[in-house]
Amino acid sequence: MTTSIESEIEHARRGRTAHTAVELSGVGKTFGTGTGAVTALRGIDLRVAHGEFLCLLGASGCGKSTLLNLLSGLEEPTTGTVSVNTARPSFMFQEAALMPWLTAARNVELPLQLAGQGRGARRERARELLELVRLDGVGDKRPHELSGGMRQRVSLARALAAATSTDGSAQGGAPGLLLMDEPFAALDAITRDVLQGELLRVWEATGTTVVFVTHDVREAVRLSQRVVLLSSRPGTVVREWSVDEHGPELHDEITGRLRQVITSHAA
Amino acid sequence: MPPELVERQGGSSTDDSAKALAGLDALDTPTVNRVPWWRRASSSVLPPVVALVLIVVIWQVVWASAVLPEFKLPAPMAVWDSFLTIVADGSIWSILWTSISRAFLGFAIALVIATPLGLLVAKVPVVRSAIGPLLSGLQSLPSVAWVPAAVLWFGLTDATIYFVVLLGSVPSIANGLVAGIDQIPPILPRVGRVLGARGLASARHVLLPAALPGYLAGCKQGWAFSWRSLMAAEIIAAGPALGIGLGAYLKNGSDFNDIAAVFSAVLLILVVGIGIELLVFRPLERRVLRARGLALS
Ligand SMILES: Nc1ncnc2c1ncn2[C@@H]1O[C@H](COP(=O)(O)OP(=O)(O)O)[C@@H](O)[C@H]1O
Ligand SMILES: [Mg+2]
Repeated sequence: MTTSIESEIEHARRGRTAHTAVELSGVGKTFGTGTGAVTALRGIDLRVAHGEFLCLLGASGCGKSTLLNLLSGLEEPTTGTVSVNTARPSFMFQEAALMPWLTAARNVELPLQLAGQGRGARRERARELLELVRLDGVGDKRPHELSGGMRQRVSLARALAAATSTDGSAQGGAPGLLLMDEPFAALDAITRDVLQGELLRVWEATGTTVVFVTHDVREAVRLSQRVVLLSSRPGTVVREWSVDEHGPELHDEITGRLRQVITSHAA
Repeated sequence: MPPELVERQGGSSTDDSAKALAGLDALDTPTVNRVPWWRRASSSVLPPVVALVLIVVIWQVVWASAVLPEFKLPAPMAVWDSFLTIVADGSIWSILWTSISRAFLGFAIALVIATPLGLLVAKVPVVRSAIGPLLSGLQSLPSVAWVPAAVLWFGLTDATIYFVVLLGSVPSIANGLVAGIDQIPPILPRVGRVLGARGLASARHVLLPAALPGYLAGCKQGWAFSWRSLMAAEIIAAGPALGIGLGAYLKNGSDFNDIAAVFSAVLLILVVGIGIELLVFRPLERRVLRARGLALS
């Protein structure tokens, strides 16, 4: 009797999680205790579907990075629960943060190596991923020999490798979760523009779930299917927009709302 | 596949984007100016050679002017002859071997002790606050200061020599490793963690390679200190059980008032010290720094 109920619950849970890559409920994060405590996030409820491209938008210091850290498991929430139903989440930062002593290809291989994959499979996968980010032929270069945009693409390839490295059977890009913390913020405008297009192409080709943090409304609208606006101190969800359902006025609407949020903090 | 993407990314725009990317890559890739090897060699070899020749010429002139008596300042040729004597009777090989083998063995033992010690000091806060200052302090204490104590403890044996060498080089190497680890940009261990590096894997794949430049600098200094300490120990602690190394050869020259032998010993000590640095440490450091784009001009 109990087994059938359990299996029913299990079945229901599976049915739901099949579509949910990430689920946050009532998530709060407070740094420190007592008078010096900073509440970075409060009462965040958020679901991200498998294969979805979600943008977290907000002013500086509103807890965007903290939210990504919670998703990646680098930090634990103070309240609420975070559940991630994908292969290990992988991270991309504002800096490429490549290991300067490794070649581009060896950087991409690193997460696979750490996951215990054999050398041959590793090499092959790194070659594929570098080709995906259009960097075939630079695998032997060191990070300092590459431009900022190329480094960031190597970093993307590495993140994709990490997202699909959890078990050796994950072949040819089993969908993972890509957490991106203002990855293009340090690039010049032209490179940023091209890389945004590239990211969309890669996302389309790999089917990964992407949670992309930015404070640039234009970038958010261009890239994502859904934009979530966070308020500051503590960070809470103000509103979200589904990008497909809105016309060209969406950019102005979000900008207006972001401005309101920021203005409310004026002393 | 998200439907709206198909509209956004038509086939031709993907092509355009590939071309734009290729163009950007071509424009932005840092260019490297390769200096031909002969020019590099001539600019790094010529100046020291000229300086050396100048020094010998000045030496010769001062000697010829006879402002200093012969027993204080020998002629360059006299020193050369003295050097040729030990080459001719073959004793130079045993002298060099005695000292260099000791220095290498001492340095190797120092590496084995200093590496885990440095890791501990860098990563364990209690250890750092307990012995960190002591380690830096020892670096500024001339290790000759230990010779008298070592002679009393170990007598005139190899143990005395190695004890002094270790006290000279261990602090440098350990401190180098600590500095190397302290200088790792914090983003790298974080990235390592996100990529799945934990514990030992993190030390092996992230921490140690990232700290390598500092560690190598420490090793280089550690070598200099170990060579210096060895010479001090050999000069002060001479005895039949210790054989004749460069230090003892120098001491003998001094005891016999043979200024030419003293000069030839000092020059040999200098040449070996510089030689090891140029042949071993410089190329190693160059390779490590060059691989990371940290040019060593
Ligand atoms: N480790 C930490 N300790 C204390 N406060 C922190 C820490 N990390 C972030 N904060 C605080 O949390 C808030 C949100 O930070 P963050 O997530 O970095 O914002 P964002 O990425 O949106 O700019 C900020 O006010 C910041 O000062
Ligand atoms: Mg941030």
